[in-house]
Amino acid sequence: MQRSRLVVALVATAALSLLAVACGGDSESGGGSGSESGGGDLTGTIFATGSSTVEPITALVGESFNAENPGVDITVEGPGTGDGFKKFCAGEADISDASRKIKDEEIELCKAAGVEYVELAVASDALTVVTNVDNTAVSCLTLEDLYGLVGPESDSVATWAQASQFGATSQLPDAELKIFAPGQESGTYDSFVELALSKITEERLGEDPPKETRTFGGLADDNEIIRGIQSSPTSFGWVGFAFAEQAEVSEIQVDGGEGCVAPSAETVADGSYPLSRTLYIYVNQAKAQASPALQAFVTYYLANADQFVAEAGYVPLPADQLEASTAAWNAAIGGGSAAETTTTAAG
Amino acid sequence: MSTLLTPPEEAIDAEVARSVASGRSVDARGLAFQAALLVALLTALAVLVWLLYSVVDGAVPVIQERGIGDFLSGKLSGSPARFGVSQGIRGSIGILVFVAIISFPLGVAAAVYLEEYATDNLFSRSVNVLVRNLAGVPAVVYGLLGLFVFKGLLGDLTGGSSLMSAGLTMAILVLPVVVITASEAIRAVPQPLREAGYGLGATQWEVVRSQVLPYAAPGILTGTVLSFARALGEAAPLLIIGTATGLLTASGGNILDQLQGNYTALPMLVYVATKRPATEWLSLASASALVLLVVLLVANSAAILARNHFEKRRS
Repeated sequence: MQRSRLVVALVATAALSLLAVACGGDSESGGGSGSESGGGDLTGTIFATGSSTVEPITALVGESFNAENPGVDITVEGPGTGDGFKKFCAGEADISDASRKIKDEEIELCKAAGVEYVELAVASDALTVVTNVDNTAVSCLTLEDLYGLVGPESDSVATWAQASQFGATSQLPDAELKIFAPGQESGTYDSFVELALSKITEERLGEDPPKETRTFGGLADDNEIIRGIQSSPTSFGWVGFAFAEQAEVSEIQVDGGEGCVAPSAETVADGSYPLSRTLYIYVNQAKAQASPALQAFVTYYLANADQFVAEAGYVPLPADQLEASTAAWNAAIGGGSAAETTTTAAG
Repeated sequence: MSTLLTPPEEAIDAEVARSVASGRSVDARGLAFQAALLVALLTALAVLVWLLYSVVDGAVPVIQERGIGDFLSGKLSGSPARFGVSQGIRGSIGILVFVAIISFPLGVAAAVYLEEYATDNLFSRSVNVLVRNLAGVPAVVYGLLGLFVFKGLLGDLTGGSSLMSAGLTMAILVLPVVVITASEAIRAVPQPLREAGYGLGATQWEVVRSQVLPYAAPGILTGTVLSFARALGEAAPLLIIGTATGLLTASGGNILDQLQGNYTALPMLVYVATKRPATEWLSLASASALVLLVVLLVANSAAILARNHFEKRRS
């Protein structure tokens, strides 16, 4: 009798104490943010999903915004650009971070669900072509070389030198080509195909060319790519600028027809680096119009983008593009016809 | 090595007897076998020590530069200088609460029914087989269950990608383990104990309550240790259900709001930190992993203490 009561008591105490710990943690954090309340009396929730590349920028903006507006709950996650658009077009998210433009099928998805959005460029990133630090034979590649190495025709290319079979213009070493690059689900893969390969693919393979590279075992994230690049002396791959800068790898210059250019904040800003891509946020228009908190957040995002972009290790957007984003945003919340903004943004 | 290979006394006696009987003085094959076993043990140990060392070694820079308190009280952040695990600890403990409240009573009750009440027929046998197979189902599959049932069908109740969805999914995930270990523990209760109870005129309920359960309690608690460890460590279901990985600011609210709200958990923090650039993030991944191990250790010790308590009562 007594014994069984003790079992119940023990289990109950354990459960309750766990519960108390769980709740205690939160009430404390709630009180903490409340006390530092400055001016903002906005309330509401903001949910941003999408690219894991853009996630740190949005997280930094959110952190700072929340410090000024503690009444606004912000959640940021980064399952990937594609997954992000799935949620965004289902109306589950306020903001979708994207490391590439929205695709046609995703536009359809949004349209089918009646989700109207505004596309805002917020940062630049240099797709950085990398190789092992010991691979001193390669320091600059033309777009033709990149096509020869990893273009859709190059499945048979096993050494760097064989890239000449498919139009490579530089003298490349007769060494094994080991590719460590992002998989097809990655926005970094899509951007590379778009920026480095699409033009030559179209020239060589005609209308409606395949929007893909040769086949290789794609890797899940940039840190894995970096480790692969470091593991083999004749490796080849590409990653986001922040990852290349932080790691001991050799960054290869890219020649887009006007000489070799190394990726850097300057060459991206002045547009001379051929493989610079734009990072976007997509904002749900209807939700923005209904929520002052979301409006204030996006306005704050654009106003302070450069600071947070640099803190996250990316490259600030050229000034005119950021102004264009701000103008598009002002038009979107200034009561401009929703449909009109969407077309401008998507086109 | 030589001391490790020295057999215990009983074995020495047996050895003397054997050499007398067979006429051979040295059992070479036996020694080789023993050495092989030892090598296997040492290899496993070495890997474990190496793993622990690399986690601790990776975590040292964070603890030195930030201080352990700062890291423990920090929140999700886009900046490695501010990133911390407090929200992960809270989420993981929240998940454990679900496991404790749901899996423990449900699992033990199911085990008691299967072992004490169910007759040995096709139904009970197939349930047994089913539960055993469920225990081996990969966590990703349970993640799908969470996605379709808790996040999808019951989305209005759970709030979608919420602590409740995660907790319920984990509770279902560990349920088979609890059922199996509780069943084993109940099966190990000596039959005479039950018969003595019946002999004194006790009903089946009284025998189960005052004889079987107290006797089986230590074994049942061992099962909960295992299930806690699994619920704490799994990242796959959380990846599928979705957790906050970039930023999570919550301004409280009542308990239902919190359960239905966004969350994050320790294994997810480890995962997120490994995906970010900069070596600082890798140290943060190690430090988060270390915190996960410590939380696991604390949860396990609590269960082991409880088990020892019941074991003492039993003897």
